[in-house]
Amino acid sequence: MALRVLEFKYKADNPVTIAKEWSHLGVVGSGDLEVLMESKDLDGWLTVKVVTPVTGFDKVWDLVLGKFANESQLGNVAMEINDNNATPIVVSMRLRQALAEANKLQTEGE
Amino acid sequence: MRSWEDIQAGSFFEANARERAFGIVDKNTFTELLNPRDRQASPHLPVLGEAIGFDDGIVTGVGLIGKRPIFVVSQEGRFIGGAVGEVGGAKMVATLKLALQTYEEVKKQYPDSYQDRLPAVVISFETGGVRLHEANAGLLAHAEVMDLFQDARHKIPVISVIGSKVGAFGGMGFVAGAADVVIMSEQGRMGLTGPEVIEQEVGKDEFDASNKALVYRTTGGKHKYILNDCNFLVKDQVGAFRKQLTEVLEQPFEQIEQYRRIGSMELVQEQIELVDTAAKLEPKDAMDIWKYFGNEEPAKLPELSVEQFLKVAKRRPRKN
Repeated sequence: MALRVLEFKYKADNPVTIAKEWSHLGVVGSGDLEVLMESKDLDGWLTVKVVTPVTGFDKVWDLVLGKFANESQLGNVAMEINDNNATPIVVSMRLRQALAEANKLQTEGE
Repeated sequence: MRSWEDIQAGSFFEANARERAFGIVDKNTFTELLNPRDRQASPHLPVLGEAIGFDDGIVTGVGLIGKRPIFVVSQEGRFIGGAVGEVGGAKMVATLKLALQTYEEVKKQYPDSYQDRLPAVVISFETGGVRLHEANAGLLAHAEVMDLFQDARHKIPVISVIGSKVGAFGGMGFVAGAADVVIMSEQGRMGLTGPEVIEQEVGKDEFDASNKALVYRTTGGKHKYILNDCNFLVKDQVGAFRKQLTEVLEQPFEQIEQYRRIGSMELVQEQIELVDTAAKLEPKDAMDIWKYFGNEEPAKLPELSVEQFLKVAKRRPRKN
């Protein structure tokens, strides 16, 4: 079965973007994923593209991503995820780590 | 990503491919070429329903050690076991070509002092070889890399660093061994057929892949150091690998070339003699070979720290 592409979008009340122009975190290991975030003029929207081998969990993706979008209030950010069967809790953790990475100050040894 | 300082102090074994690439060169000099934002994922994996990665499991780029441009290839074992496919393989090949182009450029710009600015290629291996999903492209990449190693002869040093979880096996085991210099940690492993494949094909009596002590004393850094397949053994720390790499690069190129395992009739002869020795010795265990090369108490060697080991280990003598 071919890989599946899922697309989601969320709009925050007071959208905040990321500090870096773009940022990457993670390795697509078994049960893990990578996250690419790009700052983009999207009229306040956070867009998420997920590429995954998993079927039947689209609703769970929406719930996990929606919770992250709500908590972070991210907007004007295009996010792409390459997933390899990560569990929802791993997804949540990586999203928070990816956001921290995207907001790291460039001067700190970067 | 962690800061350069944190990566230096941290384990090489635990570091991912991007951290290794960033940490193996001087502080904040690394520029990734074809970074995740370029999204050069495998075109073959999606139709097979296999997860893709934006870097296809190989981080490539250029940094500096002193004045030297260092072209880095770093393989990620957690992505399909670090297996080399079409895109990852092409990235390896292109990095080597870029290093050779840079060599010509540096030579033209600094005709009198180009030796001080001589580029080098550093490959951090973590792979079982060809990615079977795209096997033809993967095999072709192996051949092209080998070809470019030959083009690099007498021009720029090519150095293998091995200290990650998967080790350097399969076709990439050959490639790693064909470099000018091999630097390993105790945790690093190098070989052709990996332990699990031997067990699967020939049986547990032949090789028990679950016996970690056996696996490490047959394929691990200490064994390769005694056999002189690996030139330098360092502790499991990114900073230790970088320090050793820096020391190697400070040597004259003619000296660096002396570390090679293959590449001349004399070296081939030396390898054949080693096979002959093994045939006569009929070793039942790597420890028999350690003893043959003068290590009186071979059973004690695996327990020693790298520091202690380097003081006492006797190695296969080299001809040159």
